[in-house]
Amino acid sequence: MHLWLGFAITALVLWGATGVTQKLSTNRISSERSFLWFCWAMVALSAAVLVVARPRWEMGMLATSCSIAGGALNGLGAWTSFRALESGGKASIVISLISLYPLLTVLLAVLLLGERLTGMQTAGAITAIAAAILLSMEASPKTTA
Amino acid sequence: MNKTVRQGRLPKWLLWSLITIVLWGTWGLVSKVASTGMDAYVNQLLYTAGLTPLLVFVALTVRKRGSQDPRENRAIGVFWAFFTGILGGVGNFFFFQAMVVGGKASVIAPVTALFPMITVLLALSFLHERLGRVQWVGLALAFVAIYLLSA
Repeated sequence: MHLWLGFAITALVLWGATGVTQKLSTNRISSERSFLWFCWAMVALSAAVLVVARPRWEMGMLATSCSIAGGALNGLGAWTSFRALESGGKASIVISLISLYPLLTVLLAVLLLGERLTGMQTAGAITAIAAAILLSMEASPKTTA
Repeated sequence: MNKTVRQGRLPKWLLWSLITIVLWGTWGLVSKVASTGMDAYVNQLLYTAGLTPLLVFVALTVRKRGSQDPRENRAIGVFWAFFTGILGGVGNFFFFQAMVVGGKASVIAPVTALFPMITVLLALSFLHERLGRVQWVGLALAFVAIYLLSA
């Protein structure tokens, strides 16, 4: 197995678990308060990284800007996804639609970073997006009965 | 005329959803660029710095609105939210690390976007939720996708 795949699958498992823990949280407190404590946990984790790990502070301006922008983009994305749900969008439709975001990453990576996908990987990317959409759909009473 | 314009306007939820796609889609790209110039630890630290203005904004909003959450549930809700942040942050670290070791953004983004498969499996086991046929098909497709993307 490729090393990158092992790391990517670990991220997938951890992020997948957040789907359950987030629900356990928002069943009890508002999504805003939940998001706030989610952010505080990120701050605590960063403090732990500073103390325990030995980060190498050798990076250029582009990488630094992209990393900071990454935090802002991902956080804002979470915020706008809440807004989409609060604005009357059906959860199954909103979440399925948002699952299309890797399409944009693939497009930008190919156009701007010059990445190339093999035929199998292209089929995999399309299958992954289809799978993410289907997984995000709410089960109807008929299908769960 | 006004009616036509109103009908032609995007519903708010659709607009917010499209903005989310742009924000998260771009995040995948900038994460790869950042990962070519720093280790995953620094990336996570700077990521949190980027998140801070939003944290301040949300903190002010929560403070302004006050709390309507039942007091008896608040501590447990906060615990799960905090735990979600820890899981998410450690997940971010592995996402960045996958890119640091040479994974392509165009492959890692679709692989990690399959995270609902874990949510669905855990919800099945721990929350005793039931899956519809569509979700079972999605789960099967997710495994196929990982196989294809790793080829």
